[in-house]
Amino acid sequence: MVSCGAMADGVRISFTDVAKRYDLRVVFRSVSGEAVPGEVLVITGPNGSGKSTLLAILCGLLRPTRGMVCHVLNGDETAREEWRNHLGVVAPAMSVYEELDAMENLRFFARVRGMNDADQRCHECLELVGLETDRRTPVRGYSTGMAQRLKIAQALLHDPEVLFLDEPGSNLDPAGKGWLGEYVHGLAAVGKTVVLATNDRDEMKWGQNHVTLAG
Amino acid sequence: MSRLLVEALAVAAKDLRTEFRTRVALNALGLFALTVLAAVSYTVGPYRITAEDRPFLLAVLLWIVIFFAALAGLDRSFVKEEESHTAPLLRLAASPTAVWLGKLGFNLVLIYFLMAILVPLYCILMGYKIQLVGGFALILVSGGYALAVITTIVAAIIARALTRGALFSVLSLPLLLPLLIFLIQGTAGAADGTAETVTSTLRAVLSMGGIMTIVSAMLFPVVWAD
Repeated sequence: MVSCGAMADGVRISFTDVAKRYDLRVVFRSVSGEAVPGEVLVITGPNGSGKSTLLAILCGLLRPTRGMVCHVLNGDETAREEWRNHLGVVAPAMSVYEELDAMENLRFFARVRGMNDADQRCHECLELVGLETDRRTPVRGYSTGMAQRLKIAQALLHDPEVLFLDEPGSNLDPAGKGWLGEYVHGLAAVGKTVVLATNDRDEMKWGQNHVTLAG
Repeated sequence: MSRLLVEALAVAAKDLRTEFRTRVALNALGLFALTVLAAVSYTVGPYRITAEDRPFLLAVLLWIVIFFAALAGLDRSFVKEEESHTAPLLRLAASPTAVWLGKLGFNLVLIYFLMAILVPLYCILMGYKIQLVGGFALILVSGGYALAVITTIVAAIIARALTRGALFSVLSLPLLLPLLIFLIQGTAGAADGTAETVTSTLRAVLSMGGIMTIVSAMLFPVVWAD
């Protein structure tokens, strides 16, 4: 078995020679890089270059056709079942439950994540993203920007070690984008790992490391 | 309470809450069951079948209504997760076993709810007299469980396929057919008072349910993750 190496604290994700293909369509060939604690890794590339696919591979939702992805937590390689406890994801292809309201959604995700007495944390997250006053409105009645804020709250609920953001500023107003940028910087400053897939010029500036996918 | 049970209950409660608000699966199950029940009771009725044939033929009709109503609605919980793009977050947040148990619990509630309304109505409208009521109730409970276990794992398998509707029936029927035959024989036995038939049916149905539970528990994490 290939060793992933070790590092003292936080989550490190290294990926080597990763390729993804769907039947005959090659999404990308041989992508390598590393996301380390305290930094934001930005994945860029034109539409269809596979940014979201790479993000899904890195967070463990998809398996690569070729290559190796290592998730290392506090120096130890993390098993798939354990890995999910340490990550939060915001992506356009992932939705929360439209039939539930914001509070019910967060309560549900808190319970399946094994968080006890999580109501206080749910309120904090809703306050953080500016949805506290709309917490009882069914998500079906939300604007796309409000739904995006709820997805961000869901991703932050369990205070994950690593955050995967796929076009996180989409549908957010300028104030929301500004807040998110500052928040992401704050997360990196306290040693969290952030992986960001985007083509937005402002969001690209959040990152220290860049991986560019060819079209 | 163990974490697994708490997670599974959360999944089942979430499904019940969303189902209560949309009623997609309930409408599919209920409409099919009530339409067929109305058609059968109107065309066949309680008196068109001879007393000698009644226990067996009415058992056949009863289980046909229950099975096909179940096929119409029990795939919804997984299909809906995929169609509404909520499955990836559920995959990341909950353990596969908790998801399976939660979805199984949800399907059990649906099938037992359907049976609780359908079976008494059927017995009244069709004049179906049951000699061994306790045995009949056990057959319904064990049959409902086996039906839910099989449809839950098949629904998980087909949820990510493109031709979901057709696949659900195609994959479910070979697994459900032996169960259907056993349940019809057992119900007929309960109706005409043959305790041995009821006992052997219960043994067979519980064995099938048990085997499918073990197979599903082993298979589901692979199906759900990949």
